[in-house]
Amino acid sequence: MTNAVDIENVSLVFGGEGNNPVLAVDTINIAIPKGQFVAIVGPSGCGKTTVLNMLAGLIPPTAGSVQRNGKEVDGPSRDVGYMLARSALSPWRTALRNIEMGLQIHGVDKATRRERAHELISLLHLDGFENSYPSQLSQGMRQRVAIARTLAIDPDLWLMDEPFGALDAQTRLTVQGEFINLWERSGESSVIFVTHDLEEAVLLADRVIVMTARPGRIKSDTIIDLPRPRVIDELRFDDKFKEAEHRIWKELRDEII
Amino acid sequence: MKSSDTSSAEPSNDETDNSQIYASQSEGSESGRFDMSSIVEVPRWQRILKAIDLPVQFLRIGLLVLIIWAWESRWIFKGWSPFGFELFPEIIPLFQGVPSEAWDFILDIWDDSTFWADFWVTLQEALLGFVIGSGLGFIVGLLLGSFKKVAKVLSPFLIFTNAVPKIALAPILILWYGVDIASKVALATIIVFFIVQIPVQAAVSGVDPDLDVVATSMGATQFQKFRYVVIPGILGPLFGALRLSSIYSILAVVLGEFIVSKRGLGQRLLYETNNFGMGKAIALITILAGLALVFNAIIGMMERRFLRWQDTEARGKVVSL
Ligand SMILES: Nc1ncnc2c1ncn2[C@@H]1O[C@H](COP(=O)(O)OP(=O)(O)OP(=O)(O)O)[C@@H](O)[C@H]1O
Ligand SMILES: [Mg+2]
Repeated sequence: MTNAVDIENVSLVFGGEGNNPVLAVDTINIAIPKGQFVAIVGPSGCGKTTVLNMLAGLIPPTAGSVQRNGKEVDGPSRDVGYMLARSALSPWRTALRNIEMGLQIHGVDKATRRERAHELISLLHLDGFENSYPSQLSQGMRQRVAIARTLAIDPDLWLMDEPFGALDAQTRLTVQGEFINLWERSGESSVIFVTHDLEEAVLLADRVIVMTARPGRIKSDTIIDLPRPRVIDELRFDDKFKEAEHRIWKELRDEII
Repeated sequence: MKSSDTSSAEPSNDETDNSQIYASQSEGSESGRFDMSSIVEVPRWQRILKAIDLPVQFLRIGLLVLIIWAWESRWIFKGWSPFGFELFPEIIPLFQGVPSEAWDFILDIWDDSTFWADFWVTLQEALLGFVIGSGLGFIVGLLLGSFKKVAKVLSPFLIFTNAVPKIALAPILILWYGVDIASKVALATIIVFFIVQIPVQAAVSGVDPDLDVVATSMGATQFQKFRYVVIPGILGPLFGALRLSSIYSILAVVLGEFIVSKRGLGQRLLYETNNFGMGKAIALITILAGLALVFNAIIGMMERRFLRWQDTEARGKVVSL
């Protein structure tokens, strides 16, 4: 079976000619089987967003090959959902119409996309806020709308760039729970989840990849062998969880301290 | 919103506004919880009364009466020379015009078909100049804002052309386009073009780059990005420019008519002034101002319709205080 993602010997240099080039990503290799939930952690500026941008087809690698489902990535794809670190909602669209945006771009008819958007509204507990503009929503609600917008197109690869970074601890726990439910019921979707928060990475993911400080290389790659479905608010106090988090923390600590 | 800012306060007083609600204090406190049923919507007549703001209206009317009185009594023509410096010169009776004369003239021209022919000419010139100039300004601004390379090549030319005092072109345009409406339309087009093009181009760069990344990652075509990201993102500055353009297009055509023309309100105004028909001149100036206000009001209505989300953005902030 082909992998969802194959990143082979990929390097990326910013600002090639002229002003001093920056090596952002240095010869990384990541293979992700279909249906896997991978978290990437690493110090700020180590190239996590850059890796997602390459997978989303926004920037080509300087060297190496980036493949999805066995095919070289050569531009944005309808099967990839990319959620940026900032919620980046259109201020002139209501919550509902923000969620519909991807479907609209894909040319899905109005009735179908409305139905899909309503479905996500209730899955993410946004009922009653369909017609609110982003400025009228709380931070957590905006983040939920951005998740819904990313998933409305039914992507088979979910690229999530610090999706919950701006949320307070309690809200984050709720939204994490909603997110993991959505993924668990989605079947074969693969997730690459970038985060600063190691606890979040271990709670949610099947596998945690630690990147080194710039230039970004793979420092460690650890399978998290915790059963699913996970009840994340309880799992936080589980000994196996704590042990896994501690093990990865030792790797990460060298990079950030 | 401050109450002094009447222009932006008005739209929030329309009937869809439900943010103006208050709780009656006596109820709902016993259980220690806020009782949502104690929220009472302000009755419609109270909201209308608040929107009208009677004291302000009285002051305005008072001021208007005072101005008309000072004018009609010819007090303002007396002149005023503080410390021997002739700040306001005394006006000789031949050059004086008062509101009652203007009013008589307006009653006269109401069924004067030559006046309406002139009115139609000026209206046509201004509308055409406005539509062509702002249309071209919008398209060019959008393209230059989006294609930075082209903008770089063209920028010195545009900066120079914009630096030209456009009215200086009027005599040449009359030679080129003739004494009829085409030369006035051309002048208005040039003036309006820059009023729209410059802010639109700047606004394109100001659109949130994250929105562009989101649309790109969803596979949006260039056209879809214009439609879903760029155009909605620049509507605010665009409408500001259009309001200004609507007034400047009238200014441009009146000026063009002053120079040479066969018909039009500007031409008529110049004729009346040259023949000391001061009351008539004042009436014509008032009619031109009225025309500009109507233009402005139509654009304001469109603006409220298209920028409803900005209105709610402001409301959202007020409510969250
Ligand atoms: N467009 C760009 N031009 C030049 N350099 C860039 C560009 N984008 C990123 N970089 C550089 O590449 C490196 C990696 O950036 P990237 O945004 O991928 O980091 P990150 O791991 O996502 O960091 P953070 O956790 O802070 O979001 C950084 O050192 C940054 O300075
Ligand atoms: Mg980043």
